[in-house]
Amino acid sequence: MTVAVREYQGLVTRAIAFAVDAAIVNLIALVVGVGVGLALSILTIHDSLEVVLVAVGGAAFVLWTVGYFVVFWSTTGQTPGNRLMQVRVLGDDGERLRPRRALLRFGGLVLAALPLFAGFLPVLVDDRRRGLHDMLARTIVVRAPQTPAGRRT
Amino acid sequence: MRPARALGRRAEDLALAGLDAALASRLGTEVVDRVLASDLARHAVARLLEGPLVETVARDVVRYAVLERLTDELADDPELERIATRVLESKLMDDAVRLLLEGEQLWLVVNEVAQSSAVTEAIARQSASFTDQVAGQVRDRSSSADARLERAARRMLRRPPAR
Repeated sequence: MTVAVREYQGLVTRAIAFAVDAAIVNLIALVVGVGVGLALSILTIHDSLEVVLVAVGGAAFVLWTVGYFVVFWSTTGQTPGNRLMQVRVLGDDGERLRPRRALLRFGGLVLAALPLFAGFLPVLVDDRRRGLHDMLARTIVVRAPQTPAGRRT
Repeated sequence: MRPARALGRRAEDLALAGLDAALASRLGTEVVDRVLASDLARHAVARLLEGPLVETVARDVVRYAVLERLTDELADDPELERIATRVLESKLMDDAVRLLLEGEQLWLVVNEVAQSSAVTEAIARQSASFTDQVAGQVRDRSSSADARLERAARRMLRRPPAR
């Protein structure tokens, strides 16, 4: 029986994957935002309603961002950025994340970013290359090369 | 011996003159037409094509490099090169190209080829392999950057290198 050796992924690889995801999230939000803005521009909207619409738009953006990461992490374990960099997020037991755990990881990601991204520094010294969010949600990020037939490994 | 030789020459000349007359005559033409129109000629051609002669000729053409020799001969011929250059530089060629570009047929063909599944598949494959190549390079570089960064961080914190 052969035991697959896990290749934990480092800070630079994960940062590039995250940058790709951030670009996708923001690009789609921008296109939708511009579309909605143009549609609303032909209507006469009261100032107080405008504030409400901005708040709704902000909430929708947060929901969209959280949903993007949580859905991808808890289904395939790979966001499009992860797929490009051939990495996958797994539980430390090697299992796929449940949505609650994926949500916890996203919360950890925000916490890790708040103190000037200091929460990501443990990736540089941890034996399993885990950041604060990985430690909180008990997750690991491993290499997941795509096979020619596109099967998961 | 001399009269006998002269007689022989005479007989040869006579035979050749007879042949020339036969070939130039209406009768000769008629004979050739009838032979070629006959079932016998068709049968002869059919047997020829059925038989091993075609394969033998093809084998010999390959064995004796007939096509290569012919091509070499033509390619090295300065006269042929001069003719080709004149044709390419001629106004006729310019007009032909201009007419081809002005006509709709060429663009119909180009559109047809460009929209064919073979071409679109080939372009898609090429684009995908290029994207894969770029992504592969980014992955390789990020992986080595990870290793360098971690070595520096561990050195700074005086921690042993990762296993």
